[in-house]
Amino acid sequence: MGKRKLHGYNWVATFILVAGSALMVFPFVWMVLSSFKTAADVYTYPPRWIPSTWKFSNYVKVFEMIPFLRYYFNSIYTSVMQTAIQIVLSITAAYALTRLDYPGKSYLIGLIRSTMFVPLVVTLIPLYLLVSGVGLIDTYAGIILPQVFSAFTIFLLMAFFSTVPKDLSDSAKLDGCGYYRIMMYVIIPNSLSAISTATLFSFLGHWKSYTWPLIITNKASYRTLPIGLKYLVQESSSEYQVMMAASVMAILPVLIVFSLSEKQLVRSITLTGLKS
Amino acid sequence: MKKTMLMVMVLVLVCGLGFATGVKEATTPATPRPAVVKLQVWYAMSGASGEAFTKQAKAFDEARADIELELTYSGSYADTATKVSAALLSGNAPDVAVMAAGQLYTGERGDFSMEQLVKDADFNAKDIYDGMWEYAKYDGRIASVPYGISTQVMYYNKKILAQAGIDLSTPPATWEEFLKIAKQAQAKGNFTNQPDFYGFDTSDGVWLIKSMLYQNGNAVVDSKDGKIVPVFADAKGVAVAEFWKRLVDEKVMPAGQHNNAEKKFLAGSLAFIASSSNRISRWPTSATLELGAIPMPSFTQKSIALGGNGIVILTQDVHNRQAGWELVKYLTKADNQTAFALSTGYLPIRKSAQESQLVKDTLAQNPLYKIAFDQLEYTWAYRHFGEMGTMDANFWYALDEIEKGVLTPAAAMDKAAKALIKEME
Amino acid sequence: MIDRIHRVMIRGKVYEKDQLRVGFVLLLPTMIALLLLFVIPAVQVITYSFTNFSLTSGQKAFNGLANYRYIFTDTKFVKALGNTFTFALLKLVFDTTIALALALMLDSRIPFKRLLRSVYFAPVVVPVVASSLIWIWFFDPGIGPFNQILMSFGLPKLQWLYHEDTALISIILFSIWKGMGYNMVLFLAGLQNIPDSYVEAAKVDGATSLQVLLRIKLPLLRPIISFVIMIGIINSFKVFAEINVMTPKGGPLYSTALMVVYIYEQAFSNGKMGRACAASLLLFIIILLLTTLQHKMGTKKTIELD
Repeated sequence: MGKRKLHGYNWVATFILVAGSALMVFPFVWMVLSSFKTAADVYTYPPRWIPSTWKFSNYVKVFEMIPFLRYYFNSIYTSVMQTAIQIVLSITAAYALTRLDYPGKSYLIGLIRSTMFVPLVVTLIPLYLLVSGVGLIDTYAGIILPQVFSAFTIFLLMAFFSTVPKDLSDSAKLDGCGYYRIMMYVIIPNSLSAISTATLFSFLGHWKSYTWPLIITNKASYRTLPIGLKYLVQESSSEYQVMMAASVMAILPVLIVFSLSEKQLVRSITLTGLKS
Repeated sequence: MKKTMLMVMVLVLVCGLGFATGVKEATTPATPRPAVVKLQVWYAMSGASGEAFTKQAKAFDEARADIELELTYSGSYADTATKVSAALLSGNAPDVAVMAAGQLYTGERGDFSMEQLVKDADFNAKDIYDGMWEYAKYDGRIASVPYGISTQVMYYNKKILAQAGIDLSTPPATWEEFLKIAKQAQAKGNFTNQPDFYGFDTSDGVWLIKSMLYQNGNAVVDSKDGKIVPVFADAKGVAVAEFWKRLVDEKVMPAGQHNNAEKKFLAGSLAFIASSSNRISRWPTSATLELGAIPMPSFTQKSIALGGNGIVILTQDVHNRQAGWELVKYLTKADNQTAFALSTGYLPIRKSAQESQLVKDTLAQNPLYKIAFDQLEYTWAYRHFGEMGTMDANFWYALDEIEKGVLTPAAAMDKAAKALIKEME
Repeated sequence: MIDRIHRVMIRGKVYEKDQLRVGFVLLLPTMIALLLLFVIPAVQVITYSFTNFSLTSGQKAFNGLANYRYIFTDTKFVKALGNTFTFALLKLVFDTTIALALALMLDSRIPFKRLLRSVYFAPVVVPVVASSLIWIWFFDPGIGPFNQILMSFGLPKLQWLYHEDTALISIILFSIWKGMGYNMVLFLAGLQNIPDSYVEAAKVDGATSLQVLLRIKLPLLRPIISFVIMIGIINSFKVFAEINVMTPKGGPLYSTALMVVYIYEQAFSNGKMGRACAASLLLFIIILLLTTLQHKMGTKKTIELD
């Protein structure tokens, strides 16, 4: 370890990565700068990068046009709830699918896998009929419950769970632990970091969900952020700067949370590993 | 053998299930009218139009103690259509919807109750433009009420035309003349030195070509023995398509950039644009744009295709339907139509709205509104039928093929017509 | 001999009763969710595919194989299918190799490692509406920065999203930017899971960096590569929102219409839900075949290596 190891190869990699990251942040820089522009700046040719005057009122305007905070709250609330339920469901399922034995298991895995092949576009109408049939339109439950099942999360967790050494659960069993206790005290503690990865991924999945919340909500008070953003696009088709301001506000908190949890995230996957 | 039997049984069972959870038929209960009728109203209008609509709807709500409105913005035209389809299937549809092509949802279901409602004496259906009534029909029968109607307007950027030294005080009457002027504007008007500068484009080619077809004496579709027949591929239709091709060949219109036209216009890299009249209330004056408008050029006869929304009453409940009708009557009153039109750029549906002093004053001051309102004289509506969405998609594709020279104008129109015929079989 | 209190034999196989009970309880919520959210809707989709189910009229009458006949003779369907394969292939190749290369580099000793990882992951969190708005602007043939850059290098301008030759490539560029951080994180995890001792031992034996990469890192990463490819195939066949925002109605000459765009168009623009259901059933079968094939190839290669 130590500085001695920083030999040529690493500098090449650093150079490539830094150059590449410039490409990656290019759109973000554009977005942030655009969010402070005036309408005239936006449509200037050649493209103007730095605003001629910094217009903070674009941000204020977002709040005037849509109930931004309400949408934000709805997005956080529904995403957190969906993620929580989904993780619990996926943990129990992944545990039962990797560590327990019973007939029909392979069929069940096949069925779960095949759910990934179906786009929401087609199940939208049947799902809507089902959810409206039980009276869940315009409710948080109506947004949350139909989205809690995720084959991706189950498969991700299955990959992690299967790497927890069998010796650990065997010795717990000898100590008199039942299968619930093995899950609670052996599998979960040994995959905490993996679970946090799955949590992040499923949170992000729900955070950007658009079609389902749109179709299942009528009242503005249940609408979520992606719907609010789309509304802005329609409402202010010529006010690019306002949409950029809304976008900045929409992603900033998520970015901060991610960069804070990033260390934990990568280490987590490292510790448990991913083998399928 | 047993296994197969079981499989078959399960299949039959689930298929039955699939059919069983179908449409719930709305029934009409003979209950007495409740003290307060609650009305669910969805609307697909945003921005200034959305505000103007909700303002009037709320005024109605306050004026009527016996009716309570629940207003919902239901998203873009496409999002609203998806939501309404799903809601109708499950029996959760709103009582009233302000949406594009709403008459497909009533007409296709055989609900023409609007025909009776518009006979209401204090509604005065005759005061509404004939073209607008055409627009509100499904298969030739009234199935909605026109509301939030627009036409395309030929806007131009005054700065570009001034730079090019073009005088529009006698605007071009024909497309041929227009093409010359647009070409001139393109050659000399690029005052911001944009690299991708053009004379003309439209943000909605399908809409514009319908106007152009009618201007050239082509009715787009015809009805024969109750069946819709496309006629847009006849000689007159092909002539229009050939002119469209010339716009591109003479490099006045960029090929395949209609989605981008609005942005180009705002950025000052487009001299003329044909776009919805509701843009009057949206486009700001800027360093690159000063908005002007001329009457739409034409071929053999003046004509302009209507677009925009309509109001449909979807509820089957007698009392809600009546309350919904009261709302429709309120929203379409002449003075409300005037106020709505002047704050949005949508067009008033009533002829009498034109006679109000407010309208006269505004038109005198604002030539943009005057151009849009004056076009009302020769509006026409294309027929609404079930496969209209497919027809528009075919048109869109055909225009793309014409502009890019993939097919000749005649071949592209013919292909679109054949695809429509196949769709309706 | 079976312990009859704790064990039970089902179809010639012995199971532990406890495991059956616990497994059932733990899987119950998932099975209910599967049944309600997937099996029932899927059965309905299958049923609808044999009807003329129309979203506008709500009618639903059995029409046999008419939908399937229509689809197989529809040039748009064929085109969408071709586009989808092109998209899936190109995206998979670029996405996977770039993400893998990034992960390999980020796994070596470099400064600002954490920051760089965050930067490469950041596009994943941007909502679709926001990111597509930015990129539509970038791709603008007139006032967009991409053409500005091309011109400053003396290169010819491109029409990007507005020409049939470049539209799909533009979409792929965008989605690589948007999605590769996702795969990178998975690859990084796999790489960091490789015990240092393996690499050290190889180096002591005189292996070059390239040999370490080819002989140790890549073989050990195979399960994750295979996982990433499977998810990649599936997602390529499901991508919709970005494409519909950036190039509406299937894009120039239908060149960016992927399968889901076609299905959406049939269901919601044309109102032909029955036809859309038939198309999605075909899509389902295609993905099933592809992933099975990929799975088979993946396992085979792993076995060869072992």
